[in-house]
Parts: sequence; structure tokens; C-alpha cells
Amino acid sequence: MKPSDRAPRSLNRRQVLVAGAAGAIAAPYLIRDAVAQGKAVNVGVIMPLSGANAQFGINSRNGVELVADEINAAGGIKALGGARINLVVADSTSNPTTAANVAQRLLTQNDVVAIIGAFASSLTIAISEVTERRGVPLFTMSFSDQITSRGFENIFQVVAKASVLGKAQFDGTVAIAATAGQKLEKVAIMYEDTAYGTSQAGGLRAGAKAAGVEVVMDDAYPLGITDVTPLINKLRSSGAQAVFPVSYLNDSLQIIRSMRQQKVTIPAIGGAAGYVIPDFEKGLGEYAEGVLSISPANYDLDPALTDRFRKRYGYFMVHEALEHAVCMDVLAQAMEKAKSTAPEALRKVLHGTRFEGGWTKAMTGGAVQFDKTGLNTLSVPVMVQWRNKELVTVWPSEYAKGKAVWTN
Amino acid sequence: MAVLQAILDGLMIGGVYAVISIGLTLVFGVMGIVNFAQAEFLMLGMFVAYYAWAWLGLDPLLAAPLAFGVVFLLGAAIQRVLIRRVLKAPEVAQIFLTVGMLIVLENAALLMFGSGFKSVSTPYQTSSLQLGPLFISVPYLAAFAMSVASGLALFLFMRASWFGRAMRATAQDPMAAKLMGIDSDRMHMLAFALGVGLTAFGGAVILPYLTVSPTVGAQFVVLMFTVVVLGGLGSVAGAVVGGLAVGIIQSLSALAFPIQLQNLVLFLVFIAVLALRPKGLLGGAR
Repeated sequence: MKPSDRAPRSLNRRQVLVAGAAGAIAAPYLIRDAVAQGKAVNVGVIMPLSGANAQFGINSRNGVELVADEINAAGGIKALGGARINLVVADSTSNPTTAANVAQRLLTQNDVVAIIGAFASSLTIAISEVTERRGVPLFTMSFSDQITSRGFENIFQVVAKASVLGKAQFDGTVAIAATAGQKLEKVAIMYEDTAYGTSQAGGLRAGAKAAGVEVVMDDAYPLGITDVTPLINKLRSSGAQAVFPVSYLNDSLQIIRSMRQQKVTIPAIGGAAGYVIPDFEKGLGEYAEGVLSISPANYDLDPALTDRFRKRYGYFMVHEALEHAVCMDVLAQAMEKAKSTAPEALRKVLHGTRFEGGWTKAMTGGAVQFDKTGLNTLSVPVMVQWRNKELVTVWPSEYAKGKAVWTN
Repeated sequence: MAVLQAILDGLMIGGVYAVISIGLTLVFGVMGIVNFAQAEFLMLGMFVAYYAWAWLGLDPLLAAPLAFGVVFLLGAAIQRVLIRRVLKAPEVAQIFLTVGMLIVLENAALLMFGSGFKSVSTPYQTSSLQLGPLFISVPYLAAFAMSVASGLALFLFMRASWFGRAMRATAQDPMAAKLMGIDSDRMHMLAFALGVGLTAFGGAVILPYLTVSPTVGAQFVVLMFTVVVLGGLGSVAGAVVGGLAVGIIQSLSALAFPIQLQNLVLFLVFIAVLALRPKGLLGGAR
């Protein structure tokens, strides 16, 4: 064989290698390890950084990073000799199986003392199976009722449960409508069909039942939906006076746009997630104005703290960033108090302490306290409304920063 | 009335399904390659249109020809460098190549564009026309009209132009076409570029009512294959019939069943069609 015959073939192989390397670099398991300086405490952060929920994952990571950097700048964990916090960030994608695998790897290879994550309830549930087995604390702001209802000892949920959020979404709406002089008799519910939407819809149903309000439409839809027209057609002919959509971002934009197209003007009261992030306003522009949503927390309750986020990242501190910041702060406070990173010591402190000060001030209740299921008993949801590109807390009255506008 | 509305909605969305699927069927018909990466070119088309809107202020509908052009050139390059080498290779090699392209394109997009959802905002996005009790969504109608226009343009191109006839000849009998002086290599390049370009065009016209992210292809890939196989793999007219059928089936099924079962109904019909007509609705007719 002449050498010239071989040349194109070896080029081929190199191209294959280059393509393979590009794939490997881009693999959805990007794990970043900051260079450890001196003594450091590894904290695992698992978020959906790619796929359908990536934007939320990025927001959440930003919140954790902000607090970790602040703690490190202030001298680290003092009870542990000024140990720095070293975040090990991993991408769970939007797939529960991947989330569990990534959690396993952080625990076996990175010696993390705790894990914070993973925004979407279905991901958090998958991770919690792993952390519970290993006895390592998992901090989360996922809502699903399942998270704290399985008798797990190592899970800590800093916000109210989805069923409580759903009920508050309903009760707050009834209260706001009543203030405006309207009595709700018929409402519609539509929700994405993963753990979050399903749990929250349960709360909405319970609220409607308790108030004697008729649910004239109650429809689940798949998360990756590309055409919501059939849903809106059904909504239009249902005669509902208000609609409660529980959605992430892609579906929330489609729902509000289709409603406007079909001249469905009844109030839409979102179920947090897709309705309370800057991208919602960016995608809808003026049509976002006046949209209400429930939210487990809101940045206007403590602007002094949350403006630090706005200054660093250039957008308001969305609730998932705020709650993940609280997760990080509570973990740091627990390590200070336990003077240890041993899981048993941390668990003991976490179950028996009322955490005050720091970022916990920005939560409703002004502090964080976990019951034996790991639920923060002090957190109550608030109702927020889009006003001039910002979210204003409008309900309940003890937290309200503005008066709700209701169009019927 | 609800049925009429559902058929209308299904027709409009089906027109879009048809255009994004024509590319897939064209590539198979002319080259015999099943391009698993086809939906990624839809994603690229959406991104071209998104950045044309974000940077140049161009409406996605006007940016559609630009998306077509950019992806056409990219497709020609990919055909020349990659696809051409596996045309005579075993099918397994072809599958590996196109699936590999899918993974590389998706991850390259993740690196370049980030993983977030991006959405344009246009004045007609939230408007609709009212025909008595029927609502016609303007962005859907616009996407449908653009799809029909591009479908007609392709039809005329294939019928009337020398290139189109040469391409059809290559599809029918590559050897005979070669003997008649047709450069089949060039025809393959044109077919592939045209195929992925059309899909990108479809991606641009649906951007006003959807959001784009690097993983959006996954929402469409199964749908595209269903459309193409339903109509008859390799048949352009089949893709049009298949697209409209899929749109209408999806829309009508939502009247009777929960929207989650939309695709279940679709696939039940799909299986029934394949059982009765294994070559698809218009199988054989090319």
C-alpha cells in the first residue's frame, strides 16, 4: 500500500476523534471543582443546568454561589478554623436518573458534607433516595408534598409544601377578588404533569372544595408541550372566572400568549415557577403586566439583602435563588453550631435549632425552623403581581408591599 | 363548532409539521439516508431567526429565508464532508453518523447559546382573527402561510427546474441518471442542503409562538418521523398529507381525551395505518 493511500484514512480517524472530543467536552455532566485552598468544606450543588429547566437551575446556582462567596470573603466557617466553602456544582440535566447518578458521584468521589438541590421536585426526590441511604443532609426548595412525607431524616425543605402553595394560590385569589367586589364561583385549573404540578393542583382542588367553588376545568398536560391551543379552547368554553395555570417557563409563555390571542381576558393566577422569573416578563412584554402568581417567597420582603444579588447578576433575586441562598446560609450556620461536618452532628443541630439572622431574614416568618419531617414550619406563601417589570407582594396583608389589581 | 375550531387549529399546525418533515423525506428519497439529526436543523433555524430578531430586529417570518440560507450552506458542507463518505457504507454506519451529528449539534448549541429558553416578542404574537365563533391565531396562520408558500416553491422547483428534475431522476435510478450526464454527487449535496434548509425555515416560522432552546429538537424528532412514515417514507406529497393528518389527529383527540393522551391517540392511528398500508398513506407514489 502506498503511503498516499493511507493519508485520507488517517485524516478521517482524526476527524472522528475531534468530533468525539467535542462531544466529551460538552457532555451534560460538567463538574467544576474550584481549586481547594487550604482546608475546605465540599458542598454539593446539583441543579438542572441544561434541558427544560435550565434557567431555574442557573438562577438557583447563582443564589448558592452568592452566599458561599460572601461566607468565604468573611473568613469561612469559623468553628472549623476558617474552613472555606468549596462548591462542587453538577448538572442533573432534567432527568431524575441522571440526578441520582450525579448525587452518587458527588458523595463517593467529592466527599461532600451536604447537597443542595435540585429545583425541580422530581429531581430532588431522585437525589433524596441517594442522600438518605448515605445519611447526608439534602437541602431543597422543591415544593412537592412527597419530599417530606416519606419519613426521611436527612431532607430539609425550606419552603411550604406544594399542597399548601396550591391552597394559598386559591385562597389568596378568592381574597383578592372579594376585595375587588367579585365572588368567584367557577374556576379552571391546568397543570404540568410532573411531581410539582400534580401536588400543587391537589392543593388548588382542596382549596376550591373547602370554599365551595366549582372547578369547571381540571386538565394536566405534558411538560414539553408545543401546542396549548386545545387547552385554551377548552378554557374559553368552560365559563371559568379565573384560571390557575401551574407551569414552568416554556408552557407559561404559550398559555398566556394563547389566552391573549383568543381574547380570554379572565385573570390568570400562576403557580410560581414559570410565572415569577424575569424571562416571563421578557417573553411577554406588556402582556405580563398584572399577571398574579403565588410564590414561596419574594425579593421585596428584604430589599437590602436581595439587592446584593441584583447587583452581582443584573436581575432581581428570583425566589428559587433566594431560597437556595437560604439553604446555603442555614447549612453554614449549622456547621458553625455543630463545630463539625459529621452528618449525625449536623442532623441533630438542624432538627433542633431555630435559625435566625443572615439570609433567613428574607423568608416569610423571618427565620427557619425544621420539624421532624424536615419541613420549615415558619414559611408561608405570598401572592405576587407583575407591576412595571417587577414583582410586588400583594397578599397576605402582613407582607403586602402594594395593593392587588384585579380585572374581571 | 368546537370540532370545526379543532380541525382549523390542527390544519394550521399540521401545515408546519409538513414543512419541517419534507426535508427528512427529501433526504431519504434522494439519498436513502435516514437523518436522525434532522430535528437539530430545526433548532438551528430557530436560533438563526432568534438572533436575527435580537441583533437585527428582524421579524422571525422575514428571517426565515435567512435561516434557510444559513442552514442550506451548513447542510451542503456537512453533506460534502461527512454524509458523502457513508452513502455506500452499511446502514449501521449511516445511523451512527447521523445520531452522532445529533449529539454534536445539540451539545455545540448548548456550549454556544447556553441552555436557557429564548423567546421573541412580536406585535402579532398575541392577536387573532375572528370568523364568527372561530378564532384564528395570527402567529399560527402566518406560520401556516409561510409553510404553504415554501412547500409550493419546492413543488415548482422539483417539477419545473432542471435541477429539480435531475434530482428526481437521481432518486429514481442513480445509475441511469449518471449515464444521462447528471452529477449525482452534486444532486445529493443539493438534496441534503435543501432538506435541512427547509426544516430550518420551518423552525424560523414557528418561533413567534414557541420558545427555542438547544434541546427543542427532542420535542419534534418523533413527530417528524411519524409524519414522514405515515405519509410514506421518501414521498414529498406523503409528508404533506402526513403532516396535516398528524396535526388534525392531535387537535381532535384533545376534544375527547386529556391532552396528555394526544400522542397516544396519534400513535394508535399510526399503528393502524401501518397495519393496513405498510408503505404509508401515499406509499409508492413519489
